[in-house]
Order: sequence, then structure tokens, then C-alpha cells
Amino acid sequence: MLWKKMFRDLKENRGANVACIVVILIGLMVFTAFSMVLDNLKISHQQFYENQHFAEGFVQVVSLPPTELKRLEGLEGIAAIQGRMVKDVRVLFPDSNENVYLRLVFLDTNIENPINGVLLSQGIPLNNRETQVWIDNKFFEANKLNLNDELEVIADGRKRTLQIVGVGKSPEFIYALRTAADIYPSPETFGIAFISQDVIKSLFPQENAFNELIFTLKPGVDFAEVKKALEYQLQPYGLKSIIPRADQISHLMLTQELAGLESMSKAFPIIFLSIAAMILYIVLKRMVEQQRGQIGILKAMGYTRREIMLHYLSYAVIIGLLGGIAGGLLGIALSYPFTSFYQLFFNMPNLYGSFSVKYLTFSILLVLIFSLFAGYQGCKRILTLEPAEAMRPPAPVMGGKVLLEKVSFFWNMLTVQGMMAVRNMSRNKGRTAFIFMGIMFCFAISSFTWSMNDLVQKMLFDQYEKVEVYDVKITLARPQSQTIVSRELQGFAGVKEVEALAEIPVTLKQNWHKKDVLLLGIPADSRLYHILDKNDLKINPPENGLLLSERLAQLLHADIGTILRVEPLMFNGSGQDQELEVVGIIPQYLGMSAYMELTALQNFLRQEGLVTSFMLNVEAESIPLLQEKYLLSNAISSIDEQAQRLGKLEEMMASYGSMIYFYALIGVIIGFAIIYTSTIITVSERSRELASMMVLGMTPAEVLSVVTFEQWLISILAMASGIPLSKLMMTGLSQAISNDMFTMPTTLTFSSFLLAFLITGLSIWIAQQFAARKIRQLSLVEVLKASE
Amino acid sequence: MKPIITANKLSKSYLMGQVTVHALKNANFELYERELVVVLGPSGSGKTTLLNIVGGMDKTSSGELYFQNTPLHQADAKELTLYRRNEVGFVFQFYNLMPNLTAYENINLSVQIAKNPLSIDELLEQVHLTDRADHFPSQLSGGEQQRIALARALAKNPTMLLCDEPTGALDFQTSIQVLKLLKDFCQTYGKTVVIITHNTAIASIANRVFYLKDGMIDRIEINANPLTPKKVTW
Repeated sequence: MLWKKMFRDLKENRGANVACIVVILIGLMVFTAFSMVLDNLKISHQQFYENQHFAEGFVQVVSLPPTELKRLEGLEGIAAIQGRMVKDVRVLFPDSNENVYLRLVFLDTNIENPINGVLLSQGIPLNNRETQVWIDNKFFEANKLNLNDELEVIADGRKRTLQIVGVGKSPEFIYALRTAADIYPSPETFGIAFISQDVIKSLFPQENAFNELIFTLKPGVDFAEVKKALEYQLQPYGLKSIIPRADQISHLMLTQELAGLESMSKAFPIIFLSIAAMILYIVLKRMVEQQRGQIGILKAMGYTRREIMLHYLSYAVIIGLLGGIAGGLLGIALSYPFTSFYQLFFNMPNLYGSFSVKYLTFSILLVLIFSLFAGYQGCKRILTLEPAEAMRPPAPVMGGKVLLEKVSFFWNMLTVQGMMAVRNMSRNKGRTAFIFMGIMFCFAISSFTWSMNDLVQKMLFDQYEKVEVYDVKITLARPQSQTIVSRELQGFAGVKEVEALAEIPVTLKQNWHKKDVLLLGIPADSRLYHILDKNDLKINPPENGLLLSERLAQLLHADIGTILRVEPLMFNGSGQDQELEVVGIIPQYLGMSAYMELTALQNFLRQEGLVTSFMLNVEAESIPLLQEKYLLSNAISSIDEQAQRLGKLEEMMASYGSMIYFYALIGVIIGFAIIYTSTIITVSERSRELASMMVLGMTPAEVLSVVTFEQWLISILAMASGIPLSKLMMTGLSQAISNDMFTMPTTLTFSSFLLAFLITGLSIWIAQQFAARKIRQLSLVEVLKASE
Repeated sequence: MKPIITANKLSKSYLMGQVTVHALKNANFELYERELVVVLGPSGSGKTTLLNIVGGMDKTSSGELYFQNTPLHQADAKELTLYRRNEVGFVFQFYNLMPNLTAYENINLSVQIAKNPLSIDELLEQVHLTDRADHFPSQLSGGEQQRIALARALAKNPTMLLCDEPTGALDFQTSIQVLKLLKDFCQTYGKTVVIITHNTAIASIANRVFYLKDGMIDRIEINANPLTPKKVTW
């Protein structure tokens, strides 16, 4: 019988119940989906790393003779070490004028189970004599290539043809970026080609040495120790950098994404289940109050407290289970498209969605705990009610003055409805807190999301639209004299402006803090590279000291006035390490670097006139001509077109946009669920008061305003409190995701607040319109007939 | 005298589960300005239904109902709201005051929506509760609450005052005070007052008495010499 009662009661409160189920559903859906994707990604990449012997250390040198490698193999702590040549070449596709690059990676076909081995998905082994290559599958698919197709590339200034004989993937290029500045992989324009050493030698006849080393460590060995030993050994060969696996770009991006997913998969269910728990609590508490008489009768009939308690708890359990099971199943369903979404970016084998009983069970357990807790809190009062007492009506609600009444200027502004609203807020403190918390979160989630959007835009576009404002950047294959190249470029038709740039890899040290970064030499009064301060004002590169990016200064524990030791990795023969003072710190979101005036840097390095790249302003129609002319030059390693880079970024941002709408929708749903539930409960609880007002001749709209005024008042306060909350979330996120490649700014934009305000406001308003129907349906006669 | 309410063959039936209940059957009556009408009848005789329909809280099933020349039986929800707002003041057995508004504010609630309201202070004086203006309902006795409810109903300056068992929850002394107030309102402010009760003693203060039985108006008696409430006993 009690079951029948329960289902009828559930039906009666269906609005609030559905809202609660939806909130639970979303929380658990996201939880299940994210957790499953996370598991898929984790298992897949770990297996991949293991099977293909992913390196634990990466070394870049100018050139190391292969004979020297033997010596390094004996170093303590190193399990295995391999040398290789890595070269970027341009690919010439017949009907494309985009810059397409292939990274040629030498693969020693003689070693079994090499470090960073390639997992071949189709094709045949590499031949040492002919120019055969394996291509990474993303590039292969994106450019619609076939096995045995030939690729025309520019290697060492000459056109060469490579034949595709295999397709595969490597753990080193799960997230394949040409440079760290690219942020997103672009398989159409950048791919990896694996090639045997003999072939690479034939492509680059002048170079007969390794420029990269990869190694694995013996178990329990500290990377720093090995690094120290390697530094000592490799110094004479032009050591550029030694980085651990943790700093390798592809690995870094992957772990970052995993960390993000993990925190989302935890935060989401907690926020949503808390809100659902509050709704359950309020609905049940209200139901127990309303059914006080019925409870008394049940008790009088001889039902035990436990039986009655279980009866009311079963409401919470049913709602929880419905939401939990539906959410879990939907999450599992959602994990498939999510996983395929990740396949777009992360190139891993065995990355498939799979049905997981584990997370379904787990989400059901989770929701049971939450709903039982909320249910118990909501109906524990039953236990204390004596049957006779229960059958009597509850003591009348006390009216009372509230603190706000002392603020007479505010109080006098209110209509009588307003006064009722304000006093009600203190009458139902629990519900006021619920609306407050809920709306605060709703607002914070929205403003946080929109801010993220603004900031990612700022992060990416500021660098290319405000800082690096050239049209084309030409990177030289090796450092050269400024005047000769500069003169040549200036003479090229369509070139409006040429500025030289020196990008020198250095190690900066402050006591025991040190960091390998690029030290940029920028001409004084540069018109193509603007260094901007906090207020976006242009500042000049210093002549007698260093400018550091904020994040770099943080890592080095440096401040203005700190003296840093500067160790250039390239020109170690040019003299001893020197010291430079930090003269300024600037915000920089993309990458982290140190800056100096170009000539001052050249003097500091004792390399007069030396530069590594050029920035150009060029007429748009001259860019293809420029590319054509220098394409074959072996002095130039790449020609980057700013417009192409921006175009790609814009494409990426567009796909990011859909994520934003997803979060905005979630914000709206939370806001709606909270306001809808609290409104209909208020309407049912105060139906007598509201009906009396209608009898007095107030319109339903006027009556509704008593309820809505209260909600708006709480909501506006809650939204204001949402501002610091979103700031907090932003700071947390920034700390979690900032790395050497990008720094997340923590400024919140005004427009995001405005949008969050509109979104939250809209969801509140919509919920109130639904609740208004309840008021119009109030039967005056019924309500007022009942005795108090 | 011109009638303010005219009812022709007024009927109301409800569907209660599978049973149709005829709460009011073919009621014909008028209500006039400045008169005090008492509606008497046992429980279930249709008193409250009659009052609800006259007060615009409920709609008729058949028959015609006019307020002055306005056909209320054809009015929609919006028009009924306006009718209640401007022409009708209700008083209930259980007061129905807003628990979190003070006595003064409860009256003000009604003043806010009125076109031509009466003075709150004057009303408080009339009901002898000036010193209790700042109290919340829970701090007032039943009689005091009912007097505030009366003042609230009257504050809008309505054409009629409709009272459903206004003394039903009060002791004898307090009931007499409330009846006296109702009578005064009728005389000083010139309002039409309708009182529903099953207490036959109250009928003696009325100008006319409607006797209801089984949903029908059994008879209407005219009371040529109504008593003052002070002289009523039960």
C-alpha cells in the first residue's frame, strides 16, 4: 500500500522530481563518460609507451658523431641510448600552396625493440637503399595518401622524392606539434616520416652526425643525475637541451589533458549531486511536513518508525536510482563519441570506447549514498514525532522582524510584497542558502566558462595579433650574419620591412633554480615584434639586462633586480658564463622567454651581427614568390606565414566554441532546476497566503512577484558572490594547467560576467514562468476551505 | 433601492470523484446597498458555495449573476480578479493573515492594490488595535486577528463585505465585538455585508436572512427591526 502511496506522491511532485533526476543524470553522465574516456586514454597510452619503449629523456645537440654514442651507453643510470638525426623538410603537394612540413626521424632498423619504436599498421619494412619512408597515420589520412605514393620534398636545397611504404604511429608523436607554439596538431600540414639512417644521409650528404639522442633509464634512477652526467659529456658537441619525458611536448599535452579530464570527472558529479541532494532534501522535508497528519495516522495504526522512515527514504532512493542509472547509461553511450573526439587529437592505438560495468555500478553507489543522506536529513523529523502530536497541525509560523528592517532607507523602498519576501528569506534559512549556493555556482560556472573562452582567445590571438605582428617569419637553418641576409631580403619585391631576430637557447640560473629557455634578441624600436607590459603598452627590449615573462620569473624565483647567470648552450666556446640583471617582468601567455635588445645580446654573446631568423612585412601577393624563391635554399629551415597560423587557430577556436555552449547549457539547467524546485515548493507551502492575496484581488502576476522578488534578491546577492568564486576557479585552473608552453591568465572579463548574468537570469526567469502556472492553477476555494 | 447583485437561477455542481454534487440549485436573489444579510443553513447546504460565487472566487455552472450591470457569469479570470480587487472584501473563519507581515502591513497589503483605499490608521482605531499595529499575527489573539482581517477587507473600500463564519473560531464576547464592527461598517461606511453562519442567533442583527437547505434557498425573511449585536446572546 505504501508503495502505491509513494508512486502517487512522486507523480504529484513530478516537476521537482524530474528536475532532481535531470540534475543527477547530468552529473553522473559526465562522471561516467569522462571517467571512461580517461581510463581509455590512460590504458591506451601506457600500453603504447611500454610496447614501443617510449624514451625517458630527450637530448638535442648540434652534432654528435655516431662513434661517440658508445661512450654514452656506459653512463651510470642509462638503460639504453640511441642517437638519431631529425630533420624537418618541406613537402610539395602539386595543388597546394600551404606550407606543409614532414619531420624526418631516423629509425635504426638494426635494433630490435628500439626506443620510440614505430607501431606499423600497414606496409612493409624500411629498405636501407631506396628512399622509402613510413608516414604517420594522421598525416597519411589527412592528406588522403596511399601506400606506394610518392612525396616530393625539399631536402638540403634539392627536390627529392620519398616513397611511402608503411603507415604507423609512434609514442613520441601522440600529440604531434611542429613547434610548441602551434598548440593544436594539424595533420594536414605537419606529419612525421620515419626513415632509415642511410636514406637520411643520402638526403643530407653534408651532415653525418646525430642531432638528437633518446634514452631510457634504469629503474629507480634520478633523471637529474643522468642529466648532469650527460651535460658534462655533451658540452663539446653543442648541447642544446636535455629534457625529461615529463617535458616532452606530446607527453606534456597528453598528461595535461588527462589531468583536466580527471578533475572534471571529479568536480562535476560532486557539484551536481550536491545540488540534487539539496533538492531531494527540500522536497522530502516539505513532504514530511505536509503529510504530518498522515504520518500520525500511520503511527497510530501501528507502523513502526523504521517502516515509515523507509517509506520516505524510498522516495529519495527511487529518484536517485532513476537519475543514476539513466546518467550512467547515457554516460557510457556518450563515452563513445567522446573517445572518437580524442582520437582526432591524440594518435594512439587501441583507443576505443568500451562498455564499463565498473563506472555504472560506481555511479549508482555514489548516487545511493547521496540520496540516502539527503533523504535521511529531509525526513529525520519523523522519528521524533509522537503520533498524537503528528496529527495535530504544526505550530503556526512565527513572523518576526529581520535585521534588514534596520536599514530604513532600503526597507521604506519596499512594497508590502517586498517586505514579505525579505522576511521569508530569514524564515526559510535552509532554502535561502540553497538558492544562494545554487545560483552562485550556476553563475560561476557560466562566467568561468565564458572567461575561459575569452582568455583562450586572448592567449592565442594576442601573441599573433599584438605581439608578433609580422606577416612572415623566416627561420635560418643556422645562425648567420645579419647584414648580408637582411640586405638580400630587403631587395626582394613586395617586402616592406625586414627585421632580424636572434633566438638563442640558454640556461638561466638563480641559485639552484634554473630553466632552459629561448633568449630573444629583438631590435630596439622593433615594429614587427612588440613586447607588451601589463597594460598592453609597448616597451623596448632592454640593453643592459633581461626582460622575463611572468611564469619564467616565477620558476626562477626572480624579481626585478635579481642577477641571473646566463649560460648559452650554443656558443659555449665564446667565453665564460655571464650574469645579467632582471630589469623587467612582462605577462606572456604563450611560451616563456627572456628578452634583450638584439645588439646588446650579440655583444653579450660576443657574436657580432649574428641572427637566427628574420621577420618580414610583405605584400600578400608576394608571399608565394618569396616561398618559391627560398624554398630550395638550404640556409632556410622554415618560412612561417602568420595568416596561415591565425587561420588554423580560428578553426580550432570554432570547435572549442561548442564546448562553451555545452557548459552554458549546464549552467542554465542548474539554475532552472534550483529555481523551479524552490518556487513550486514555496507555492505549495504558502498556497494559503498566496490564495489569500488572490482573494484580496491581486493578479497572479502580483502574487508571483512575492515569490520572485525573494528569489531575485537572493540571486543577485548570489551572483555577486559568484564573481570571487569564478575568480577562484580560474586561479585554480590556471595553476593546474599552466606549463612551459602556455600560461593561463586569471583575469576575468567583464563581458563574461555580463553573459553569465544574462544566462543565469534567463534560467531563473524561465523557471519562474513555469512556476507561475502553478499559481494560476491554485484553487482559491479549496485552499481557503481547509483549516489552518 | 437598486440591487448591486442579481442572481437568476444560479446553480453550481462539482464533480467529486465519480459523483456530481449539486452544491447550489436555482438560486434567485438580490443584494442591496447598505444592507446586512445573514445566510443561515446547516453544513453542506451551499452557503459557502453561494458566497464564493458572489465573491468571484468560483464560477457558476449555470444561471446568471450580475454585479450592477456586469454579467459575472461570463467574466474571465482576469475580470474576476479585478472584480475581487475593486468590489469585494472577504473575511474568513480562519483569518488568513500573512504570517510574516505585521498587523499594519497586512492592512497595507490590501491598501496597495486599491483605487480608493481607506486610511489604515483610522481603520486600526475602528477595530481598537492601534497599539497592536506593529505585532505579527502570531502575537495576536484570535479575536484580534479577526479584527485585523476585517480591517484588511474593508481597507480596499469595497462595495461588499463577504464574511464566511467570521465568528466561527471565536468565543462569545469576541464574536459580539466582531459582529458589532460588521454592523458599524454597514452603517457608517454604507457597505453591503453578507455573513454566513450556522449560528441562528446572529440572524437577529440582519436586515434580511437567507435560509439555505440542500443547495436551495428555502426562504428569505425580512427583519424589520434588527437588533444591535450587544443584545444578541447564545
